[in-house]
Amino acid sequence: MWTYILRRLLLMIPTLFGVTIVSFCIMQLAPGDPLLNQLGSGGMAGQSSQTREAFLLQKRDLHLDKPLVLNLHYFRDYRQPVNIAAWFLSRSDAQLQAELAELAQDPKDPAQRQRLHFLRKLEIPDFARRLADPQQRASLAAAARALVQVYCEDLGEHGVPAAMALLQTPATPLDLRIGAIHALNHMVVDPFVYTYSRTPTEAETARILAAWSRWWELSKGKYPPIDTPHRQELVQRLADLAAEKSRSRLFEELGYLDPKDMGFFAERLLGPSTLEERFVASLALRSYIPYPLQLDLPADASAEMVATVTANWLAHYQPRLAEYHPGLLRKCWYLVSDTQYAHMVWRLVTFNFGRSALKTREPVSQKIWDAVIVSAPLMVMAELVIYLVAVPLGIVCAVHRAGWTDRLVSLGLFLLYSIPPFVAGMLFLLFFCYGDYLRWFPMFGLHSPGAEQLPFWDYALDYLWHAVLPITCLSLFSLAGMAMYSRTSMLDVIRQDYIRTARAKGVAESKVIFKHALRNALIPIVTLFSSFLPAMLGGSVLIEYLFGIPGMGRLSWASIEQKDFPTLMALIYVDAIVVMISILLTDLMYVFVDPRISFGAQGESK
Amino acid sequence: MSAGEGFLDIVWAQFKKNRFALAALAVIGPLFLVAIFAPLLASNQPLVYQQGGETLYPWFRALFNPDEPVDFVFNMALLATFPWLAGTLLLNWLWKRRHTPGRVRVLRSAGLFLLLLAALCALFSFPALRPDNRYRARTFTEEQFQARTARQEVTAIYPLIPFGPTEQDLDAIYMPPGHAKDPALQRKSNDGSTHWLGTDNTGHDVLTQMIYGTRISLTVGFVAVSLYITIGVVIGALAGYFGGLVDIVICRLIEVVMLFPSFFLILTLVALIGPSIYIIMAVIGITGWPTIARLTRGEVLKQRTIDYVAAAQALGASHPRIIFRHILVNALSPALVAAPFGVAGAIITEAGLSLLGFGVRPPTPSWGTLLRLGSDNYHYWWLVVIPSLAMFFTVTIFNLIGNGLRDAMDPRLRV
Repeated sequence: MWTYILRRLLLMIPTLFGVTIVSFCIMQLAPGDPLLNQLGSGGMAGQSSQTREAFLLQKRDLHLDKPLVLNLHYFRDYRQPVNIAAWFLSRSDAQLQAELAELAQDPKDPAQRQRLHFLRKLEIPDFARRLADPQQRASLAAAARALVQVYCEDLGEHGVPAAMALLQTPATPLDLRIGAIHALNHMVVDPFVYTYSRTPTEAETARILAAWSRWWELSKGKYPPIDTPHRQELVQRLADLAAEKSRSRLFEELGYLDPKDMGFFAERLLGPSTLEERFVASLALRSYIPYPLQLDLPADASAEMVATVTANWLAHYQPRLAEYHPGLLRKCWYLVSDTQYAHMVWRLVTFNFGRSALKTREPVSQKIWDAVIVSAPLMVMAELVIYLVAVPLGIVCAVHRAGWTDRLVSLGLFLLYSIPPFVAGMLFLLFFCYGDYLRWFPMFGLHSPGAEQLPFWDYALDYLWHAVLPITCLSLFSLAGMAMYSRTSMLDVIRQDYIRTARAKGVAESKVIFKHALRNALIPIVTLFSSFLPAMLGGSVLIEYLFGIPGMGRLSWASIEQKDFPTLMALIYVDAIVVMISILLTDLMYVFVDPRISFGAQGESK
Repeated sequence: MSAGEGFLDIVWAQFKKNRFALAALAVIGPLFLVAIFAPLLASNQPLVYQQGGETLYPWFRALFNPDEPVDFVFNMALLATFPWLAGTLLLNWLWKRRHTPGRVRVLRSAGLFLLLLAALCALFSFPALRPDNRYRARTFTEEQFQARTARQEVTAIYPLIPFGPTEQDLDAIYMPPGHAKDPALQRKSNDGSTHWLGTDNTGHDVLTQMIYGTRISLTVGFVAVSLYITIGVVIGALAGYFGGLVDIVICRLIEVVMLFPSFFLILTLVALIGPSIYIIMAVIGITGWPTIARLTRGEVLKQRTIDYVAAAQALGASHPRIIFRHILVNALSPALVAAPFGVAGAIITEAGLSLLGFGVRPPTPSWGTLLRLGSDNYHYWWLVVIPSLAMFFTVTIFNLIGNGLRDAMDPRLRV
C-alpha cells in the first residue's frame, strides 16, 4: 500500500511540470509591451515616463525581459550591438531620418551596413517597404527609436558591461557617450540602493555606501562644517532615533530634521557607525535628497556633465563587477535557470506570485487568500448539500426502481441537469431577490452592511440567508449527476447475489438496504467529490459574478477584466493545484475506503 | 430483423424505443429550420418593394451580403433547401423503384444537402458572382412610411416579423412583450407591428434576436464539438493503440488539461486571444478533447485485444489502416454518445462567456448577450426569462438525445 501511495505522489511531479508548462503557454498569450502595441497607432504618444517605469518594474519583477527557455545572454558579446544601439539613441529625429534615407540606398560603408542589419533584426513591422517609402520615414524613425529602447530594456543587465566599456574607452566620441548613457538608463531601472530594507543587514551596507559616498564626493562643498555643541546635539538625536522601535514614530521624527544637517548624517553613514545608526542616517538622507545622483542627460550635454554622469554610473558598476561578470560555472547555471520559464516555475512552486498589476500593487497571494476564504466555505457547503440531498434521492430511486417515485424523481433530476447553473441563478435573482415578484433573499454579497457588529448566531444566520441561493446554484448541476450516479451504484449492488442471499435468509428489508447494500454502494460515491470540483470552480466564475460574491470566481473575472495578469496566472495555477490535490486525496482515499482493491494492480490500471 | 443488419440499424431500433429521445429528435428539426429560415421569419428588408413602376428585391440581395460569415452559411443553407427538396423527391422516386433501403436513402439525401450547401457557399464566396448589396444605405421601412404619408402608391411585402436583427429603435427601448408603438410616434412602416417578446436596451426586437441567436448557438455547439471529438478520437486512438511511451505521455497530458477548470480556462483563453465567435469555437474545441480522448483510449484498448485486429495485422495492414479503418469504426460509440451532451455544454459555455462580456460582440445577436442585458437590470424580466427558457429547452433536447443514444449504444442495456 505504501508503495502505491509513494508511486501516486511521485506521479504528481510530471503532472505539476505539465501544469506549469500549460500556465506558461497561457501567459504567453497575454498582450505584451504596451509600447509596442502603441506603435501601430502612432508612435510612443501617450505613455509618460512614470507609467513606463512602472511597467518596466513589473516586467523585471516577472522576468518578462528574459528569454523563454534558454538564456544565452551570458555567453554572447554585446559590445557591437550596444555600440549600435547607443549610436541610434544619440541621434536626433532629423539625423535619424537622414540616416534612414541613406540606409535605404543600400550603403557600402561597413558601419552603415551593420546598422541596417541591426535594424532588420529588431523586427520593425513592415520594415523593408517603409524604408523604401520616403513618406513613412518619420514614423519609421519613431518606431526604430522605440524598438531600440525596448531592445536595451530587454537586454537589461547583459548590456551594462558593454555600455560601461564604451564609456571607459577614452577614444569614444561625446555623442556616442551620451547614447551609451541613454542606453544604460533603459537597461537598468533603479541602479542604486539608497536605503536599507525593512530588516537591515550588514550585507546591504556596501552598496548603500557606494551610492552615498559618490553623492558626498559631489556635494561635500555645499554643506558647511558643524560646530561642536550642535554636533553633540545631533549625535544624541541620532542615537535616540536609532533606538526608536516604532517605525511610524521614526518616520515622524525624521520629518523634523533640518536639511542643512544632512552633511552630518552623510559623515555618520560613511564613517564608522552601528548598523542602526546607518539605517537611520540613510533614511534621513533619502527623505531630504530626492535625486542624489544624476543618471540621465539631455542630448546636447557638455563634456563635463558627461564625465560626471559616467562617474555616477561607475559607482553603480564597480561594486557589482562580480555580478556583471559571472564565472563559467555560474554562466552555465544561468543558461537554464535565468529564463522566463525557470523564474515562473520557481515563483509558482514557492507560491510567491509577486504583486498585482493594478495601481494598488497589492501582493497577489494576499488577494487570492482573501478570495479563498470567501469561496471555500461556499464550496464545502455546496459539496455537503450535494451529498446530503443526492445520495438519499438516488437510494430512494434505486429501492423503488421503475416505480412512480423513481420515474418522477428521475425526470426531475433530468430537468435539473439541463438547467445551466447561471441561468438558474438569474431566475432566482429575478423571482426571489429583485423585488418585482418576491424579496425573500438579498441580491448582492454575503453579508448585510454592518453585519460585523451582530452576535455570532445572528451573523451566521445573516450569512446563511445570503448564501442559500449561491450554494443552491453551485450544487444544482452536480447534484443531479450525483443522484443519478448513486442510483446506478445502488442498483449495481442490489442486483448482487449476496443481497438476494440476505433477503432469502429473512433479513429485514430495511437492514438489507442500509446495512448490506448501502455500505458497498457508498464506496464509489464517497470518492466522487473531487470530480465535481473543476466544474464547480469554473461555474463559480458566473455564479459569483451574478451574486456579487468577492470569491475566487469573481476575482478570476475581475483579473481578466482589469488585465491583471500576475493575479490571473496565480489563479489558474492555484485552481489546478486545488483540483490536483483533491484528486490525489480521492485516489488515496480509495485505498483506505475499499479494502478489496489490491494495491499493486491499482498503480498499473492508472 | 434481417441478416444484413448493421450497427446503425441496431442503434436506431433501440433509440426508437425511447419516446422522450424520439420526441427530442423531432423537436431538433424545427430548431434547425428556425435557424436556417431566420431571414424568412424575421427581416426588415422587404421581399418585394414596388414604387412608381419600379420593382426591387432587397431581401434577396441582403441574403447574399450579411455582415457575419455564419449568417452567410445559414443563408446559403436556406437557398439550398429548395433545390434539395426537389432533388430528394425526384431521387426518392428513383430509389424506390430500385428498392434502396431507407437508411441509405436518408444518408444519401443528407449528403446531397451538404453537397449543395458546400457548392453554394463556394460559388457565392466570390463577390463578383453574387448579387451586390446596392440598397445597403437605404432603409425601406422609412422610405415606405414617407411615401405613404405623401400618399404615393407603394407595395411592400415583408417577412412574418418585420424587424431586422440589428435594427435599432431608440424610441422603443425596454418595451415589454406585446408592445406595439403608438401611431403618433411612428417613423417607419414596421413601427406599428407588435414586439411579441419585447425590446432590449437599444430597441432591438427580442424575438428577432432570439431567432438569429439560434444560428450562433447551434454553430458554436456543432463546430466546437466536432472539432474536439476529432482531436480527442485521434489522440485517444493513438494512445490506446500504440501504448507504451505514447500512452504515458498522452495520459499525462490528458490528466494535466483536465486539472484546469474548463470554463475558467476557456474564459481566460478567449479573453487573452480576443473575443469572437470563431475564437470561442476554436478554444472550446481545443480544451474539450481530453474527456473524449480518455473514453476512446479505453475503448481502443478493449478492441485491440479482439481477434480481428490480429487478423488485420496478419494480413499486413499498416498501422493507420488498422487504427482508422478497423478499430476506430468499432470504438467510436463512447465519443458519439458524448457528442450531444457536448453540444449542450458548448451552447451553455458560449452563453456564459457572452454573459460575462467576453462572448459574441454586440451587433451580432446571441442569447447570451440578451442574458447580459437582463442581468444589468432585473426589472426587464423578459430579457432574463426568454433566453433562459430557450437555453433550457435546447439543452434539454440535446441531453435527451444524448440519453437516448447512450441507452441505445450501451450493450449492457441491450436485450
